[in-house]
Amino acid sequence: MGYVGKGVPSLTNTRLVAGRGQFVDDIALPDMTHVAVLRSPYAHARIRSIDTSAAESLPGVIHVITGDEVKANMNAIPETYDTGAVGAKGVKWYALCLDRARYVGEAVAAVVAEDKFAAYEARDLIEVDYEELPVVADPEAAMSDDAPLVEPDWGDNIMATRDITLGDPDAAFAEADGVATGSVRSSRITGSAIEPRGCMASYDPYDDQLTFWDSTQNPHPLRQYLAGTLGVPDTSIRVIQPHVGGAFGLKMPTFQEEPLVAYLARKLGRPVKWIEERTENFQTGGHARDTRFRYDVAYKDDGEVTGIRLEVLADVGAPTALCGWGMSFVTWYCLPCVYKIPNSETHLRSVVTNKCPWNAYRGYGKDAASFLMDRIMDHVARETGLPRADVRFKNFIPADEFPYPQVSGAMLDSGNYAAALEKVLDMVGYDDFPRQQEEALAEGRYLGLGIGQELIPEGCSMPGSLILNGSDGVEVRVSPTGDVTALTGITSPGSGNETGIAQIVADGLGCELSRVRVIQGDTESCPWGFGNYSARSIIIGGSAAQLAAGDIREKMALVAGRMLEADPADLEFSEGNVTVKGTPGQAVSFDDVASDVYRNPHGANMEETEPALEATRHFKIGNVYHQPEKQGRFSAYPSWPNGAAACIVEVDPETGQIEILKYCMVHDAGTIVNPLLADANLHGGIAQGLGAALYEQIVYDEAAQPLTATFMDYTIPTAVEIPRMELAHQETPTPFTPLGTKGVGESGVGAPLGALCNAVEDAFPDLDITLNEVPLTPSRVWSAIQEAKTGAPEREAVSR
Amino acid sequence: MKLPISIAINGQTRSLEIDTRLTLVALVREELGLTGTHVGCTTGNCGACTVLLDGDTVKSCCVLAADVDGQEITTIEAFSTGASTLHPIQQAFADNQGLQCGFCTPGMVLSTHYLLGQNPSPTEADIRHGISGNLCRCTGYQMIVDSVLDAAQRARESAPSASGAAE
Amino acid sequence: MISSELAFYAPATLAEALEQLAAAEYGATILAGGMSLVPTMNLGLARPETVISLNRIDELAYIEEDADTIRIGAMTRHRDLIGHPIVQAHCPSVAAAASVIGDVQIRNRGTIGGSVAHADPAGDYLPVLAAAGATAVVRSATSERRIGAREFVVDIMRTALEPGELLTELELPKLPADGGSAFVRLARVEGAFAIVNAAAVTSGGSATIAVGGATASPAVAEVAGDASLEEAGDAVYEATEDAFGDLSGSAEYRREMARVYARRALAEARDAAANGGGAQ
Ligand SMILES: Cc1cc2nc3c(=O)[nH]c(=O)nc-3n(C[C@H](O)[C@H](O)[C@H](O)COP(=O)(O)OP(=O)(O)OC[C@H]3O[C@@H](n4cnc5c(N)ncnc54)[C@H](O)[C@@H]3O)c2cc1C
Ligand code: FES
Ligand code: FES
Repeated sequence: MGYVGKGVPSLTNTRLVAGRGQFVDDIALPDMTHVAVLRSPYAHARIRSIDTSAAESLPGVIHVITGDEVKANMNAIPETYDTGAVGAKGVKWYALCLDRARYVGEAVAAVVAEDKFAAYEARDLIEVDYEELPVVADPEAAMSDDAPLVEPDWGDNIMATRDITLGDPDAAFAEADGVATGSVRSSRITGSAIEPRGCMASYDPYDDQLTFWDSTQNPHPLRQYLAGTLGVPDTSIRVIQPHVGGAFGLKMPTFQEEPLVAYLARKLGRPVKWIEERTENFQTGGHARDTRFRYDVAYKDDGEVTGIRLEVLADVGAPTALCGWGMSFVTWYCLPCVYKIPNSETHLRSVVTNKCPWNAYRGYGKDAASFLMDRIMDHVARETGLPRADVRFKNFIPADEFPYPQVSGAMLDSGNYAAALEKVLDMVGYDDFPRQQEEALAEGRYLGLGIGQELIPEGCSMPGSLILNGSDGVEVRVSPTGDVTALTGITSPGSGNETGIAQIVADGLGCELSRVRVIQGDTESCPWGFGNYSARSIIIGGSAAQLAAGDIREKMALVAGRMLEADPADLEFSEGNVTVKGTPGQAVSFDDVASDVYRNPHGANMEETEPALEATRHFKIGNVYHQPEKQGRFSAYPSWPNGAAACIVEVDPETGQIEILKYCMVHDAGTIVNPLLADANLHGGIAQGLGAALYEQIVYDEAAQPLTATFMDYTIPTAVEIPRMELAHQETPTPFTPLGTKGVGESGVGAPLGALCNAVEDAFPDLDITLNEVPLTPSRVWSAIQEAKTGAPEREAVSR
Repeated sequence: MKLPISIAINGQTRSLEIDTRLTLVALVREELGLTGTHVGCTTGNCGACTVLLDGDTVKSCCVLAADVDGQEITTIEAFSTGASTLHPIQQAFADNQGLQCGFCTPGMVLSTHYLLGQNPSPTEADIRHGISGNLCRCTGYQMIVDSVLDAAQRARESAPSASGAAE
Repeated sequence: MISSELAFYAPATLAEALEQLAAAEYGATILAGGMSLVPTMNLGLARPETVISLNRIDELAYIEEDADTIRIGAMTRHRDLIGHPIVQAHCPSVAAAASVIGDVQIRNRGTIGGSVAHADPAGDYLPVLAAAGATAVVRSATSERRIGAREFVVDIMRTALEPGELLTELELPKLPADGGSAFVRLARVEGAFAIVNAAAVTSGGSATIAVGGATASPAVAEVAGDASLEEAGDAVYEATEDAFGDLSGSAEYRREMARVYARRALAEARDAAANGGGAQ
């Protein structure tokens, strides 16, 4: 019995397959107006003046707004990742540029008009007098002494620095049998939810109420940020999240357009809608990943890694109020991931450039850390001549050492990395692969097998943060008719957590799943919560749901016990019936119990009992350490899901093109509430990981002009490129949530990077190829093959 | 410029005056209020805007509304009238979790409908090629492919068999 | 978002279209399937004041054969070329190219005339037409011209069309009985424009190979019937000296791929010839 553990399809499916979902752009209000945003065409420019007269005189134009009006009427957007708390530099970022634009696409002015045609036509009539300023396009150049400055007040382009030495790396390197050195790079990418961003606001001046619909992940936090930017009480704003067409972290607030639209609706007293175009999304919707690593690794001949020295250089783009730059911290924080490496030295530089700011993206920097460690393990294997799996087995944190304090302060809750790797090697056919490879080679086909590990901690909880934190609320209501509503602080950008919540609530109450309706994404009705990010919905929101359902169940058991003249402890709740254990005839229906609670608050069954069946509970997750002075460590991540992947690829040696023949993953997210939706999330995560490994790359030129503005240039994989994925779950429950759940929302995205590089290298056993930069475009792979063949890094036309 | 056009939308004839700048997807969504057809790019890449134009799938963001005068347009709204009357393809998607956020889904359903019309027994490879004009960022396509396989199976099973055996 | 005012005409006959084109004071933009034009309008990169749609001109959508040639009307949609018996029998590479363009929806709407007139360096028909020695038929209100496919594209996205002219037809010589042809391409993902694409035609004592994607218009090489694949690849490599690079690959990579795909196209064309010409 029970719904937890069952693969129930998502409760929202019916509406969405019918095309009857409601996404933000589907909402139309009478008298609605439309916004078009004018964006900087320059990567760095001073705004000398703006002439809006032609735009204003176009028929249908209601208002044109520039930075001057913003400055006079709005506050800076509150930071969503507190730079001060971690010793980083910050900026004041406004809903429009005040006097300087710092990346192509930063919002400079906006038009409100009666229809979209007029809004866009007028936008093109705004004349801005720009003075171009020197541009910082490259993070390494950004660190040189004579580099132009993205923020002149800062004195340099370094936003954040971390230099940490743990153990005794010098000794480890001195005593090593060997030392290897290399560099790794993961390209700038973006999440590309198929629904772009968008928001709409409507203001009721008589009630001083602003209703704000937004394709966002975090309604409650967004309300705080809007209130802060507008300087109004948060109670005067209601944020509603309609259906969200994918988010993947990138729809975490607060972007410039959100407070801008809120302000305009208040000012004009008419509904205002802004819907992002895809090109705007590529320019301003948030990027991620652009990270370069240099490593030295000290190892023993038996494959044991004894020390690492790392330099991490993250190009976080222009500084804003968005939380994305924090990803560079998380990369550092996860190292050395699933491995036990006692001695390390890490130098992190988070550097600003005149490019689109980072925003959170699935993986949140954990992907990059896993990628780096995979490449290091493969390098050690190459140097020692040991099989790559063996080097990993040698260095894994042993299963009996959890909870394991990782060097950064993190407390890894649970895991069995060796068992997961063993299982995935079995799935992919690791032992038999050499034979398969040889047979293929005899036919002139180049097959390679690769391994990737990932450690994707979840439930991020940052002290002081109003968006990234470790608690969330759920209210469960059982109505007089016995029907159930769960209102949650967490939200679902299409990932199906509402279904998991319903399953947990149904089990908690002992009723049918069909009775449960889940309401999310409305600050007016839902309890406080941080929303959706870091796969926290089931681990934190689900735990709160379990607590709230438990409270109601307890009260219903009390009342039912009185109705049945039985001890509440002897009652069984199942499928809408309450029975006395052992005497099946003695029963009362769930509905009748609910009815009695409401109809007879003064009756015998409710004596000394608080009326109604409504419970709100907030869950605070364990394994988070925010008081280092007292707790001896700082740790922001309570839960550490992990996985091992293995793949087989075929490489065309003449073109460098890669085809994935097989992709397997064993994943450990602890207890799985809904295996169907867990697999669905993993599929999506893996597909995005494969996209990053093989196809996706945001490119800027030397003037920091973006060259990838559409899906024509930014190629995301289609159904043809993504192979059928083979998944298995290993359930090592965490002790820190009531159900043992660890989170699955970001998983799958990390392991493809290393696995694919490794597989392509493996396809050419006779060539010394190292592929440490993703994406593995055909031209990059082809060049690596040519270099390995000729031994010459710089090659001219080679005749074959 | 304003232009009168007359179209058959989901079986109903409509005459209206449109702005020549309007694309077919904007006509459907904004003028006709049929918001099940979505917009993900306007460059013909994502397929979220897929509709049937005289029975063939097209990307409606890349068709001018002025250019469909006299033609028949079918959108996702024509595929069901309520939760209990989902089209078998929609039911297959719902049952097999062939969606997550649902933004690409109407386009996927229309492409599936077209594909199965051309090829009632597609292989997995046929399906992957048949839906390659519809990008999905949530699902990794696997459960979509399974949904299409299931939809094809259901369609074959419910089709009257060649021998004409009645129920 | 298309925001500039737009005059729209959809004539029902070619004659009417040519008249309207001639009459348009500031020039008019032709709209075929719209699969290249409308995206650029949506992006604001093209802002035509007048659009003349050819979508109602049925007389421009046809596939016909004469004794030695097949003739394809400009408004023939990609989809209609794929399985067409005349195309399959006499110039199967046109069908092969049509079948890989974009995706199902693009192929349902896009046209061969639009594709050729758009003259994207990676357009998939261009190498096929160049290798086959096809001819573009071009008409204005007052004249008709025939332009060799190899001369039709004059630069990146620029054609030999003069103001007032329309591309109305593509004429291809039928593949001789002992001949073979092939079309192959390399692309990042399904539906993306090719990095390079290549067509080859063998007939009698020679072979013609045309490779697109690396240069503004397809690079063409003619080799002897018994030339080795390496020779053919080298000849194409020589013909791609002005290769350009972009996000999908450097100029050098494209040249090398032109070489590789020239060899592959020729090998397949020879196989097709050995198997009796026909479809691949
Ligand atoms: C997502 C996507 C993927 C694509 N992938 C590919 C691909 O892989 N390979 C490929 O080859 N193409 C690809 N295309 C382009 C596609 O083939 C288009 O159909 C083609 O380029 C244009 O044809 P059209 O009929 O749509 O023309 P339109 O877009 O209507 O017109 C294109 C241009 O040609 C002009 N024009 C059109 N017809 C005539 C005429 N008869 N006389 C004079 N001028 C004319 C127009 O004025 C315009 O400038 C892709 C397009 C998209 C959106
Ligand atoms: S919106 Fe039409 S293809 Fe993306
Ligand atoms: S389900 Fe979200 S894009 Fe496909």
